Amino acid sequence: MKKSTLVVGYDGSDCARAAFDAALDLAGSTGDRVVVVFGYEPPVGYGEEIAAHREIVRKHGERVTAEAMDRAAELGIDAELALVPRHPTEALEELAEERDARAIVVGSYGESPLKSAILGSTPHRLLHDAHRPVLVVPVASGG
Amino acid sequence: MESATVAPAGDERESEVGDKGLKKNSIGFLDGLAIGLDSTAPAYSLAAVIGSIVVAAGVQAPAVLIVSFIPMFFIAGSFYYMNKVDPDCGTTFSWVTRTLGPYAGWIGGWAIFTTGILVIGSLADVSAFYIFDLFGLDELRRSRTAVIIFAVVIVAVMTTICVIGTELSAKVQRVMALAQVGALVLFIVVAAIALITDNATNKSIDPSLSWLNPFAIESYSGLLSGVLLGVFIYWGWESAVNLTEESKDSSRAPGLAGIVSTVTLLAVYIGVAVTLIGYAGLDRIERFDDNAGVLGAVSEDVLGSLSFLVVLSVITSGIASTQTTILPASRTSLSMAAGGAFPQRFATIHPRFLTPAFGTIVIGFIAVAWYVGASVVSDNFLFDSLSALSLLIAFYYGLTGIACAIYWRHELTKSAKNLIFIGVAPVVGALMLFYLLYESVRELSDPGSSYSGTSVLGVGVPLAIALFFFILGLVLMVAWRLTKGREFFSRRPFEAVPPEIAAGGGHVESVGASEEEVPG
Repeated sequence: MKKSTLVVGYDGSDCARAAFDAALDLAGSTGDRVVVVFGYEPPVGYGEEIAAHREIVRKHGERVTAEAMDRAAELGIDAELALVPRHPTEALEELAEERDARAIVVGSYGESPLKSAILGSTPHRLLHDAHRPVLVVPVASGG
Repeated sequence: MESATVAPAGDERESEVGDKGLKKNSIGFLDGLAIGLDSTAPAYSLAAVIGSIVVAAGVQAPAVLIVSFIPMFFIAGSFYYMNKVDPDCGTTFSWVTRTLGPYAGWIGGWAIFTTGILVIGSLADVSAFYIFDLFGLDELRRSRTAVIIFAVVIVAVMTTICVIGTELSAKVQRVMALAQVGALVLFIVVAAIALITDNATNKSIDPSLSWLNPFAIESYSGLLSGVLLGVFIYWGWESAVNLTEESKDSSRAPGLAGIVSTVTLLAVYIGVAVTLIGYAGLDRIERFDDNAGVLGAVSEDVLGSLSFLVVLSVITSGIASTQTTILPASRTSLSMAAGGAFPQRFATIHPRFLTPAFGTIVIGFIAVAWYVGASVVSDNFLFDSLSALSLLIAFYYGLTGIACAIYWRHELTKSAKNLIFIGVAPVVGALMLFYLLYESVRELSDPGSSYSGTSVLGVGVPLAIALFFFILGLVLMVAWRLTKGREFFSRRPFEAVPPEIAAGGGHVESVGASEEEVPG
């Protein structure tokens, strides 16, 4: 199998951990590089004070992704961190395109479709929008 | 707009993606026009205060709208130039902190926070009223209790939406903004035709050019009262000015959109005022007093079955504005917390939604408590709370104007344009607003002469509200200074824009940037 890239969305949540574990697992056998992506554009991209908000979201991203990078290093998996000033879905899609990634890996809270429609769901949007394979990992399987 | 890539920590990877983001977000003429038109929520603003302005100034209401635009026009330049070098990471809070010092900055930020709290209830109130109107629920519409309960539900829903961070697609927002102004233009045109062809009601009066003449206003206290509300009507307009910044790129479209939208806004405000007075007559409008129903009721006469378009635009602009006012309030508190000027809790973000959830919920709760309490106490809730709001807006806009001139002081003599737009205009605008503030406070100190007549502790209700929040702010500021705010309050005033940034490169570091870590 040719080496490629796995682009993983990571926000520190349990389902993101599950997705990351699945990606590490896969990378362990394919030798793929794992790109840990955190999109830090504040949810509502207009209005005053956006820069202060963005900065805090960014710091939050740095903090939560640090643990993922540590874990990858422990397991000896080739990993790269990408903090991207975009909405998470867009960040994942663009990065995957650019790296010609094997797949985008994201976690799913396992919520009902209605709930995720209201709360916003990155996997849901990716499944419709993305131009490459998307691996959705439910929170339970992460262990 | 996008400035994340300027942050020093960005590695190569980030800046690449960031650049793409910039290009993707650049805006065209129609987008810019919609943003500019929507900046003041015209349909809602008109519904909320046009009745009160007419009561205050009579047929001279259109002139009042012209007069109140002047200080707002002068002050807008300061938002533009400050935003250019210290982009929106604190607006008034951070700009005033830099120049007039941490105490003035803190109070300026507090004023923004407070305006959010004051306006959210009024927005929901008018929206609730018009939703009942839209569905013909006349009994509910006439019941204050029903309107208040429904308005509280609207605030709760909108606060939740702000916590989740849901936003309508840009396209939907643009369409709504254009439709909103379209409905108002339709009202103006049909009412004007009726007036010209003498097809209006028997109460109608022929418009006269003198309605636009500010010097024809007879009652000074009416003028004051009207101009104060006029400040509210143009609140937010400065964001249309920021559009011109985009025009430095290949396209001049956004800058042009800023100008066109401003002219359109003015025309719509004055047009609605003129045709409304002409069509309905003063008596009818005065009977509505500060009841926001006036625009809907007259629309029904003017447009018949199409009046729902105007009603709908009031609802959409009112509801959309609850979001655009909760947002700046929660982000100001976030920015102040990041700068060490507010409790750290306000700088925490929700791990999933990435929004300042704590601050947002606090604001929602205070806004509801304030709205319900004030509605029960006050007979003229809308007039009183919006006049109080205007006092606070005049205060923090004035501070911003002064801050701009101080921050850019070394650049003012470099060109006539700098001197006029960065120095003279903001200072003149600030002085006008401070003068308005002073005169309004004087006027409101004598409640008998003011419009609503009621008083609290011997002063007019709007002044009582504004003073209450101002003094509460002072108390909290001192409390913060004595406990955790020592470092923030040791900041030094009279910063100036670094010459290399003034010459057109980059941004200064945010006031909150010195804080290393924000606990999650």
